[in-house]
Amino acid sequence: MLSRVVLSAAAAAAPSLKNAALLGPGVLQATRIFHTGQPSLAPVPPLPEYGGKVRLGLIPEEFFQFLYPKTGVTGPYMLGTGLILYFLSKEIYVITPETITTVSTVGLLVYAIKKYGASVAQFADKLNEQKIARLEEVKQASMKYIQDAIDFEKAQQALVQKRHYLFDVQRNNIAMALEVTYRERLHRVYKEVKNRLDYHISVQNMMRRKEQEHMINWVEKNVVQSISTQQEKETIAKCIQDLKLLAKKAQAQPVM
Amino acid sequence: MNENLFASFATPTLMGLPVVLLIIMFPMLLYPPSNRLITNRLSAIQQWLVKLILKQLMSIHNTKGRTWSLMLISLILFIGSTNLLGLLPHSFTPTTQLSMNLGMAIPLWAGAVIMGFRHKTKSSLAHFLPQGTPIPLIPMLIIIETISLFIQPMALAIRLTANITAGHLLMHLIGGATLALMSISTTTAFITFIILLLLTMLEFAVALIQAYVFTLLVSLYLHDNT
Repeated sequence: MLSRVVLSAAAAAAPSLKNAALLGPGVLQATRIFHTGQPSLAPVPPLPEYGGKVRLGLIPEEFFQFLYPKTGVTGPYMLGTGLILYFLSKEIYVITPETITTVSTVGLLVYAIKKYGASVAQFADKLNEQKIARLEEVKQASMKYIQDAIDFEKAQQALVQKRHYLFDVQRNNIAMALEVTYRERLHRVYKEVKNRLDYHISVQNMMRRKEQEHMINWVEKNVVQSISTQQEKETIAKCIQDLKLLAKKAQAQPVM
Repeated sequence: MNENLFASFATPTLMGLPVVLLIIMFPMLLYPPSNRLITNRLSAIQQWLVKLILKQLMSIHNTKGRTWSLMLISLILFIGSTNLLGLLPHSFTPTTQLSMNLGMAIPLWAGAVIMGFRHKTKSSLAHFLPQGTPIPLIPMLIIIETISLFIQPMALAIRLTANITAGHLLMHLIGGATLALMSISTTTAFITFIILLLLTMLEFAVALIQAYVFTLLVSLYLHDNT
């Protein structure tokens, strides 16, 4: 489409270019020049809106104006009446059955036109208007579509300017995810190491406890073994004496 | 009286020159061609009418039949406008001449039939025998159908001629009656004049209807044979 614009611009700027292009192949044979100047068909000259004014539907207004200076307002009517009467009286126009049919046909036509003329004219105008409206709508729709496309394109361009925000956010997200993963793994390593160390500590504790218990048991066993029978008897007698003393003390207390 | 009655149907000559060709070509002036999109009221109404008629007329045809649309639209416009113009006083109607109507009917009918026989021979021959006829009647029926086929162009032409001629004659006669009665008794003349008015309205309708019927029948023959 741009090439057409260029061509028409070139044609407008230099009409001779068009002639030269057309002359090219036939320049040897004929020097007839076609299409000098702008194309003559467009733009189409506008139609007149109203037809010429007529009186009695037949006689143009200019005739009345033509006769006005000499005969005044009634001149053409007198002329018409005189002519009709002359034709009738001299039988240049004979009254035949055709006359009666003329009266009926023409009378019917005049009645129909007077009654339905305006509405038919309105209908014709409406037809033209509808045609124009349809084309206008196509044009408006096309313009609107193109305008919408332009606005959308502008919006897209504006969005593209702000695209870096999106990339920053994505970059931040990824950095955070990496950080989180790193810390998670660090924590896991820490836990594993602690686990191993705890294991060793608990092993040590257990060993010490076992040794303690073993030692205590061994000491107890030996002590119990070392208590001879004599010692046992003496200890029991002493315990009984102590108990008796205590019983006497206890008896004396509650009575008071 | 006789000569006067049929004088309007004589081929018009102006000082020995046959002017009938100009009269036949006159309706052409009433359909002004235009290279504009938005035309005057007359052209707008004509375009709308043509579109309406064309849609209605060619809706039944297939692609092959629609190649005849220009022919049929020209036909109906020509017959319609010549008939309507013939109602004006002291005018000559070409469609009252049998010669012209035959010249329109026979080529169109023959074209449709021959096209049908060439392209769809079996189907065209099958039209001669309607469905469901009892066997003893077949020979007679074929003869009758053949006669009916060959009568079609005659019927087309004579129908148009007779209708328009009869209408014109009737209008002339009743006009004459009104004229004769005017000097005898005005009331009867007035009643006769009313009859004439009604007849004129009928004539307008007949003019259009005959055009339509002619074109419709040609279209029907075409439909049978495409």
